[in-house]
Amino acid sequence: MKILRATDVTFVRDGVPLVAPFSLSLDAGAAAEIVQPSTRAASIAARLCAAIVKPSRGVIYVGEFETRLQPPQAKRLVGFVDAGGFEGDAHALRCEVAFRADVWNLDKAAAQSRATEILDALGDGPYARAIALALVAEVALVVLDQPQRRFVGRVRKLVPEAAIVHTLVGATAALSAPVPASAPAVR
Amino acid sequence: MNEFRATVAIVRRHIDRHFAIDWAMQFGIVAAIAFAFTQTFAHPLFPLAIASVLAAASAAERSHAESLRRLTFFAMPLYGRQLARAHAIAPSLLALAIPAGYAAGSIARTHEFPAALLATMFGAALVSTLVALSSIFRDGLRASLYVVLAAIVGVAVTLPFVLQADYGLALSAALAAIAAFFALRAFGETLARYDPLPLSS
Repeated sequence: MKILRATDVTFVRDGVPLVAPFSLSLDAGAAAEIVQPSTRAASIAARLCAAIVKPSRGVIYVGEFETRLQPPQAKRLVGFVDAGGFEGDAHALRCEVAFRADVWNLDKAAAQSRATEILDALGDGPYARAIALALVAEVALVVLDQPQRRFVGRVRKLVPEAAIVHTLVGATAALSAPVPASAPAVR
Repeated sequence: MNEFRATVAIVRRHIDRHFAIDWAMQFGIVAAIAFAFTQTFAHPLFPLAIASVLAAASAAERSHAESLRRLTFFAMPLYGRQLARAHAIAPSLLALAIPAGYAAGSIARTHEFPAALLATMFGAALVSTLVALSSIFRDGLRASLYVVLAAIVGVAVTLPFVLQADYGLALSAALAAIAAFFALRAFGETLARYDPLPLSS
């Protein structure tokens, strides 16, 4: 089953392209990377895949949901990890897990125990904490914004059935490149 | 998805110790203004204008704007209108400190404050707040214009009461309800259209 389908996607603000166009198609259990020319472009590409930002051109489906038309349904399937990670301390993390449990309508105790399990597996640190937050709900797609390489493999072990897409900064993509700018490495 | 549970969680996130401090400070400052100037500003238009302007400024305050622009809220599986309702509750409660403070200051000075004026001030403050919330997701001149618009709309809905029209209070309340409804819808639209981009590197 296709978890993520992105076709000729780009993001333009005030006539200026901010993301190198990309296309990719991802099944459950597969992984892909999106290469972008800058950290900002990579973050925007990650947010596009997580239905947080709407594409200016092209179309993205998460599962069967188009991210521009049905963002809440699409977001429910996505665990998004921001490049900055989660900077709060252990108490702030517990509060954030409880908050997410409320918003995603999860059992609070189960969510706290899931977050603890994930942190035990990943080790502590802002990015690991952000992954723990992203994975407290059951997700079909994990979007990692500019992770360290080791985290991609570790997330795969935690959620073997989920599709994983991660962004990285590289010289291969240019903002004005024709579609597709970066060939995704689909495993 | 339990929308009520999500709404309560978001409201609880906004209503913290800082919120209580802001409420108390706003109440105290407006009470002091009312105590000093209630006899100078005897015409009902003055307290209503004060409520509208302060409510608009308070809702658009920049640190408040930064907290609402946090990425966390946009990664949540909620529609813009659901997020708008949840985000609007805390600022609306904060806005109530303005008429409450003005009434308290006025009563401390003159031992009276008309209930109809207090009710109209509540309406004006709520409408201004809800209109001004949309300024949070805009920058520069457009954000400032939204704040000005919020203050104007807040005063405008009170005109039937100020001009002592027949059923002025009821008319003002009806206008406030209509304006608040459309302001909240516009805020929901604003949230649905907003793209939280990372800062330029």
